[in-house]
Amino acid sequence: MSSKQARSEERAEHWIGAALAAHERGLTLYALRLLGDIERARDAVGETFLRLCKQPRDDVEHRLAEWLYTVCRNQALDVLRKEGRMSTLPAENAADIQSADEPHTAAIERRECASRVMDAMEALPNNQRDALLLKFQQGLSYKEIARVTEETVGNVGWLIHTGLKKLRDRLGDEAWKGIEA
Amino acid sequence: MSTRREDTHPADDPIVTAYALGELEESERAAVETRMAADPRAAQAVAEVRRAAEQLEEHLAAQSAPGLTDAQRERIEGAARDGGQRVIVGRFGSGRWKRVAAAASVVMVVGIGALLFQRRFAAPGEEWLAARRASPGSGAVTLGRAERASTAARYGGRTLTTKGAPAPSSESIIGAFSVEGEAESFGHVTDGLVDDLSGEAYDPIDGNPFLRAGDAPLSTFSVDVDTASYSNVRRWISDGSLPPADAVRVEELVNYFPYDYAGPDGPHPFATHVEVAGCPWEPRHRLVRIGIKGREIDEAGRKPSNLVFLLDVSGSMNDPRKLPLLKSAMGMLTEQLGANDRVAIAVYAGAAGLVLVPTPADNRWAILEALERLEAGGSTAGAAGIELAYEVAREHFIVGGNNRVILCTDGDFNVGVAADGSLVRLIEKKAQSGVFLTVLGFGTGNLKDAKMEKLADKGNGNYAYIDSRLEARKVLVEQMGATLETIAKDVKVQVEFNPLAVEGYRLIGYENRLLAARDFADDTKDAGEIGAGHTVTALYEVVPVGAGLEVPGLGPLRYQENGRPTNAAFDGELLFVKLRYKEPEGDESTLIEVPVSDAGGSFFEADGELRFAASVAAFGMLLRGSQHLGKTTLDEVADWALESTGDDPGGYRAGFLELIAATGELRKE
Repeated sequence: MSSKQARSEERAEHWIGAALAAHERGLTLYALRLLGDIERARDAVGETFLRLCKQPRDDVEHRLAEWLYTVCRNQALDVLRKEGRMSTLPAENAADIQSADEPHTAAIERRECASRVMDAMEALPNNQRDALLLKFQQGLSYKEIARVTEETVGNVGWLIHTGLKKLRDRLGDEAWKGIEA
Repeated sequence: MSTRREDTHPADDPIVTAYALGELEESERAAVETRMAADPRAAQAVAEVRRAAEQLEEHLAAQSAPGLTDAQRERIEGAARDGGQRVIVGRFGSGRWKRVAAAASVVMVVGIGALLFQRRFAAPGEEWLAARRASPGSGAVTLGRAERASTAARYGGRTLTTKGAPAPSSESIIGAFSVEGEAESFGHVTDGLVDDLSGEAYDPIDGNPFLRAGDAPLSTFSVDVDTASYSNVRRWISDGSLPPADAVRVEELVNYFPYDYAGPDGPHPFATHVEVAGCPWEPRHRLVRIGIKGREIDEAGRKPSNLVFLLDVSGSMNDPRKLPLLKSAMGMLTEQLGANDRVAIAVYAGAAGLVLVPTPADNRWAILEALERLEAGGSTAGAAGIELAYEVAREHFIVGGNNRVILCTDGDFNVGVAADGSLVRLIEKKAQSGVFLTVLGFGTGNLKDAKMEKLADKGNGNYAYIDSRLEARKVLVEQMGATLETIAKDVKVQVEFNPLAVEGYRLIGYENRLLAARDFADDTKDAGEIGAGHTVTALYEVVPVGAGLEVPGLGPLRYQENGRPTNAAFDGELLFVKLRYKEPEGDESTLIEVPVSDAGGSFFEADGELRFAASVAAFGMLLRGSQHLGKTTLDEVADWALESTGDDPGGYRAGFLELIAATGELRKE
């Protein structure tokens, strides 16, 4: 192998490594929401990064988050479609994946308020929840979300507006305070 | 973003939310800021959205996620080193590869496709299809070609028709079959494969047979712009099963793809292009392609629309692939419409009702809000809904405009006028009012494909099957003109074959669009519509005279070789294409005539559009188990498609290559 080739491979590895470090956890959380169990979520995310390795860097890097969430989402939806079901993570499982190294009581408190918000999130229609997660958990813009979910930008705006409003209506001020604590 | 109603409370306005989240362009920002200055409620709404967003972000950030396993990370790092090549092909081979993400480039698909085809499709299609048909454990043997032809003849070719896409439960399958006879004797269906008990009952209905040009010089059919069969077939294959033969309507597969034909420059609303080339699956035969391209209508030239959506919200629509997909499809469509267009929404379930009175289409929020309120439940009273929708459409009829009812359903009408016959008659009567019909099919399981196709056919309309948002985008955004704007109606094609040049011929597909020869000039006989920018493609397989060939399935005649020819027959023409159409609001048809000669070019010299159409037709015939394909393999079909993808705007042809690849995987399993 020529040294030039070795260098270019090293760079490629470095690029993928950086993408992995930046997005691995966010993607897994997102896939977990869609798929409901960690093993399948990991499969979907793993597959997404394997696809990424195949992409020309210049084509993808400037829209990396959008690309990753699109591919990951399609992976997850394919799994659901193949299994003939479209369900999402039940609230109790969401609580189970809270960080293990938190102090015990803090974890319980957090879990309680988390589960209130999670319940409210769960009660939303799939497309609203999806848009809220991509916006507020993954930090994607309306335009990026539109491309990931194949919705129009206007629709995304409406989904986020409506989803956020429903959350506020359902939770009231108390639940929100609990989160800040 | 579109206009909002001035009386909307700022807290209910998505624009205000978008502003608070920093999602607006500068010009839009200024408008909201003006509003905030004038209305303290707007300022308060912005502050509230920001607070809620911050809290939600904080909460979601507190969720910690487990990442990948070390083994997974190692694999990815390994793949990064070798550019992913080995790994991707490996995934492909494992059968888990499903589809290339929307973001992946066409070039990549073609590249992988080429690799895959070399490796995988070695088995001849005939053997494979025959093996698929033989039922293991029932003692049935693989039927040879001749035996299949004879059983097809025994069942009259068309007697046993499986209509639509059976669900993977045997009870609903029998229900979905339209069988003129006893349903009990036809075995069962598992996992999408038709397993027969006798080895013959599910023998496929072969496509149109070869006809002798001397006996039957005229071939007449109605154009078909439906595309539902392709997306339905794709859904079957991506769900991991091969579709039943009768879910495959070859002309709908071919017409799913846009073709690059030149538009009309004369007085007619569409242009007709006829090309003759070698037939790829039988090189001694000729392939005739009739291509029709409807006039394009740009945004400014679009007629105002009066659209009445008739949405099925019955219990059977309560499925992620139905109602939610429907809502999102409607959202996309609404975004394409403007202030001159009107949208109304009627629903039907147990009872029919109007949930949105005709509303200017630029009031998107009102439309989206009405959609969001919809919930599925109750049984389906289709007829009452249809009555209501046509009534609303007629009341708000726009003269010279596009008046259309858009029926969105899984077709499972089960209350009221449910019998196919009376529903069809109802639609037929309604169609006379000048209101066109679009049928959008949703969902799986109890999709009543045949019923929906028939409704669209009789209702001066078209039928598309929506299996994904991508498909919704194709039908309702990219091809909105073709779907919603009729430029010619009752379009009929009649081809006269010159018996001095043509021994025999076969129309590929269009089996349920055939017309009697005398219906061609009969303006009271309904036929298909062409939409703006639409392309329609029909293929004939022709057996030329003088090659010492027999017409397959028909022996030589003892007393005659040909009818007595006219002088024109000696001009060397192969055939004569005639088309008739009416203007969208006209009653009298116009005739177009195109004489066609054969320059003798081979298949590989033909233009890419013809070659691609031929590959799709061959794929359809392969899925149907057609006996006309000879020893053609999926591998060859893939090659023809690969070499004719052209520019592929929209990437649909790349998607077809994936579908072939997935079919290859299924064949292996």
